[in-house]
Amino acid sequence: MRNLFTPKNLRNLILIIVIVGVLVLAISGYLTPLFSLSVSPLISAQSWISERYLAFSDFFGSPRDMATLREENALLRNEVAQLQSEIIALQENLAQAEILYTLLDFARNNPEHEYVAATVIGREISPYLQYIIIDKGSNDGIRYGMPVVTQQGLVGRIDAVISDAARIQLITDAGSVVNVRLKTANVEGQVSGSITGEVSLDMVPIDAQVEIGEVILTSGLGGTYPPNIFVGQVLSMQTRQNALFQTGSVQPIVDFSVLSAVLVITNFDAVDITPLIP
Amino acid sequence: MLIYLAYGMSFVLAMMLQYGVFSRWMILSGSPDLVLLLVIALCLHQKNRRFWILVLIMGGVVGLVSAMPYFVPMIVYMAVYLASLSLKQRLWQTPLLGMFLLTFGATILANLLSIAVLFVQRIPFVFSEALVNVLLPAVFLNMFLAIPVHAIVRELNVWLYPQGAQV
Repeated sequence: MRNLFTPKNLRNLILIIVIVGVLVLAISGYLTPLFSLSVSPLISAQSWISERYLAFSDFFGSPRDMATLREENALLRNEVAQLQSEIIALQENLAQAEILYTLLDFARNNPEHEYVAATVIGREISPYLQYIIIDKGSNDGIRYGMPVVTQQGLVGRIDAVISDAARIQLITDAGSVVNVRLKTANVEGQVSGSITGEVSLDMVPIDAQVEIGEVILTSGLGGTYPPNIFVGQVLSMQTRQNALFQTGSVQPIVDFSVLSAVLVITNFDAVDITPLIP
Repeated sequence: MLIYLAYGMSFVLAMMLQYGVFSRWMILSGSPDLVLLLVIALCLHQKNRRFWILVLIMGGVVGLVSAMPYFVPMIVYMAVYLASLSLKQRLWQTPLLGMFLLTFGATILANLLSIAVLFVQRIPFVFSEALVNVLLPAVFLNMFLAIPVHAIVRELNVWLYPQGAQV
């Protein structure tokens, strides 16, 4: 019969019992203070090593990180710039759409006329003349003499046409004369431009009572423009001694400096009375 | 041929810029005339004897597009060409001075011709108003733009005449 209690077996048995005992003690929490006591220096050492490593790593690794960050920064900046340009393009489209919606609204509110919407693509080269160029021409049904308006009021009339473009003489041009009617005073007069783009009122009867702010509409006389289109408001009136008529300055309703889109009235045939003028 | 093509393209570009952009740049009521400046710079830099034909065509094109009578830009541009011939002989070492002199003279000539046309057409205007509000600001703006236009045309000429770009 073999002897089970050999010194070797006893040693293994004791070892197993010690291990199981330590495990039982550890699981039951009796060894926690002892672990804490023994682990805390290790943790401190680990922390110290880790901090030094990180410092070391930062010292040598940061330039690479900076370069990467710079690249990322450049990419992001580029992306931001692209997005900003997209925003600007969208805003421009929105502004254009708003203008077209307003023009469309004007056309719906004034159904007696037929309109062709056009974009302003240029201004006259000579500073003495007030003309603009639009992107619609005879191919779009535009003819010489047609009146041009915006949603606000009168702009001018077509002065020259080619197939895909037309030139408009603004009411601010020195050569432009518009027969008008003062709405409240119910008298007629003429609105004419100047080389500086200012608009003046003339030929108003001397006895007419004209208030500041009086609304000026086209009268339709002369056959150049249809009646009742808003032209502007009276800014001031002057009466000279021995003058036959009153004169005044006019604030046009249309801001000609920011004119970007217009409506051409295509169903109005202007009458050319030039041969009748002596 | 390449020279005429380059000059023609720069003229078209100048016209588009003038009608689209520079006509809106205003001091009081005066605006710069980029096309006139380009014609002046080209006249000062050109070496071709038949360049006057191109100048005449440029004047005709501007006259057709503009509401001014067609002969006004033609007269002004031809006067610029003739003056440039004389100036190039006298001021060949200082082309920028020639550019300034021609810009000043041509702007005044163009404005006075425009005023004369308005007068003939019986369009009412006040001469002093035209002088102060249009002519003087136009002269100032043209003089201001004369330097960059001259520089651009000079570079164009260096590209077109690689060996003879001393002008």
